Amino acid sequence: MAHGFHGKILHVDLTNGQIEIEEPPESFYRFYMGGSALGMYYVLKHTPPHADPLGPENTLVLALSVLTGTPISGQSRMTAVAKSPSSEAIGDSQCGGFWPAELKFAGFDAVVLRGRAPKPVYLWIHDGQAELRDAAHLWGRITGEVQAAIHQELGDDKIEVLQCGPAGEKGVRFAALINMCNRANGRTGMGAVMASKNLKAVAVRGKARPIVADSKALNKLARWGADNLEGSGIAGLARLGTAETVMLQQLDGGLPTRNWSSGVFEGAEAISGEVMYDTILKERDTCYACTVRCKRVVEITEGPYQVDPLYGGPEYETLSTLGSYCGVSDLAAVSKGHQLCDQYGLDSISCGATIAWAMDCFEHGLLTPEDTGGIELRFGNAEAMVQMVELIGKREGFGDILAEGSARAAKKIGRGTEDLVVAVKNQEYPAHMPQVKRSLALIYAVNPFGADHQSSEHDPAYEPPGFDGFKERLAQLGLTEVQERYSLTDEKIRFALLTEIMYSALDTLNLCQFVYGPAWQLYGPDQMVETVQHVTGWDVTLEELMLVGERRLNMLRAFNAREGFGRDADTLPKKLTQPLKGGPSDGLSVTVEEFERAKDVYYAMCGWDVATGKPTRDKLTQLGLEWVADIIQA
Amino acid sequence: MRVHIRLHGILRERLPAEARGKVDLELQEGARLADVLIVLGIEAHFRVARNGTVIEDLSELLSDGDQVDVFRPAAGG
Repeated sequence: MAHGFHGKILHVDLTNGQIEIEEPPESFYRFYMGGSALGMYYVLKHTPPHADPLGPENTLVLALSVLTGTPISGQSRMTAVAKSPSSEAIGDSQCGGFWPAELKFAGFDAVVLRGRAPKPVYLWIHDGQAELRDAAHLWGRITGEVQAAIHQELGDDKIEVLQCGPAGEKGVRFAALINMCNRANGRTGMGAVMASKNLKAVAVRGKARPIVADSKALNKLARWGADNLEGSGIAGLARLGTAETVMLQQLDGGLPTRNWSSGVFEGAEAISGEVMYDTILKERDTCYACTVRCKRVVEITEGPYQVDPLYGGPEYETLSTLGSYCGVSDLAAVSKGHQLCDQYGLDSISCGATIAWAMDCFEHGLLTPEDTGGIELRFGNAEAMVQMVELIGKREGFGDILAEGSARAAKKIGRGTEDLVVAVKNQEYPAHMPQVKRSLALIYAVNPFGADHQSSEHDPAYEPPGFDGFKERLAQLGLTEVQERYSLTDEKIRFALLTEIMYSALDTLNLCQFVYGPAWQLYGPDQMVETVQHVTGWDVTLEELMLVGERRLNMLRAFNAREGFGRDADTLPKKLTQPLKGGPSDGLSVTVEEFERAKDVYYAMCGWDVATGKPTRDKLTQLGLEWVADIIQA
Repeated sequence: MRVHIRLHGILRERLPAEARGKVDLELQEGARLADVLIVLGIEAHFRVARNGTVIEDLSELLSDGDQVDVFRPAAGG
């Protein structure tokens, strides 16, 4: 008997409207477990080499895991995986909310989407059934209107709606998938992929709760989490949300400012989690069955930037990218920009970072008002920032070029604008600085789907004084030798890789990386293992889950190898080699020598070919992925 | 001597809400950074900055009028 999952994968061919249900054996779930490991099984099988990411041959998988929908914090997450229209390498992005749990309750573990519908449709999945419905009346409309229309049409406002937004329809390269109007599969352009299939939304509802193997033990673990939240490393996250991080970064000199020219921002306090909490916070929100409640809901009813609480509130990343990246210290303007991202379906990281890049170009005279349609795109111009978000969402004016993302836009414009791009594989850097946390220079580069801050534990956990607070958990991964600040030693690289593999296991199990992790999170590695044991009844070990994480990483990397991406695509942006200005990180930079050396060490530790950075046949075979080696001809 | 303290993130809840994370401490001459953590009951794995510079050696002596920030090293998010 299956525990935690239904054993049903929904396949939808949008070209001909054919809907099928596959019932893989339990061994399939034990091997892939969920997330993008499970998703990559279908992407590698169904997406032909060098497919157009916005063409019908690109396969988009929305994958849950064997844990989704069970009553414990941090499990209601979904991974979207497909070839990315931004990088043309693999795309991978996670979301939280209630949609993931509700898809499980609707009777399915994953949805595999192929082809392209002849006209706009949405997918309605409920109680083990699925149907395609006309979406002509929803096309072009913002997320709040679409969600309300689907609720009304189907007569149930508890239906959860995942949708692509107008930005996806317009082919914005960093278009997001949005659910609840305020949760995003933000990165790698999955919104554009869904829209390219003429699929506007996936609405879900059902009553099929997954059966838990040992409910008593799972409840005990859930209760432990609730009882220990206040004294845990995420107590601040619960109270102030990820916005807590603004001031923590600022004090460390790690708050990206004015397109990565500095790590300190004089306006940081004005956009901090503390000020948000004391001024515009309406309430804290949560994901299904999560006790943490880290999500922000803000409301502004007066002034030039009024904000609707339907669209939630900005995370740390958004406060940085629309705030400090752009030199903007107006919290209302940042909140408005965030709302527009959720209304149009934009990744707020790439959106803000791309605007900041354009501002940097403008300040350097590389862009002029002639390019921008008369907009004075200068650092600190809040009005221009908000205006640009909307223009990108609509792909109008200069927004049409910025909708390509900073790297593609720079390639198009030239004039030296390329030197100011801070991105890897066309994906803009998120708001954690490798100059201050050195291992991130490596992880941002080697990560298969571009620069990502949620793919490994950050350096402070393995440096003094933070290490003292987390050493018992890190020891479970074999990490016991605390490293000096700003170091990128072999041991630090081993830390980066081992925690990357654990984070990859979490992204396979679709567990929230604030709730579970190797250091400051609510639950540690041993409790991740217990959770899988209690839900599934399987006798899994940490070694087995780490193997699953490694399997996912290798599948993603193998896809890239087939598309021609290897070591050369794992780059360090030029701007990172230039010294930061001001504050505690004044003068810090990353050298090309230390970076390339770190790649050598990392590839060797991974068991990959050091010269090409590609997975070897031996490694894939060791992970039980001979079929992948055959596909990519490793 | 008087030292100006700011506690950030969840640490600000160690003080009354109206303080909003700020407090001035009267300390004896010869007091060190570590004494601030002891007086406020804060664990040693938090990070400390003195006058805007992150300090790893908490045996460093304080001076009258110093600004001390105490915060958790930022991880993901």
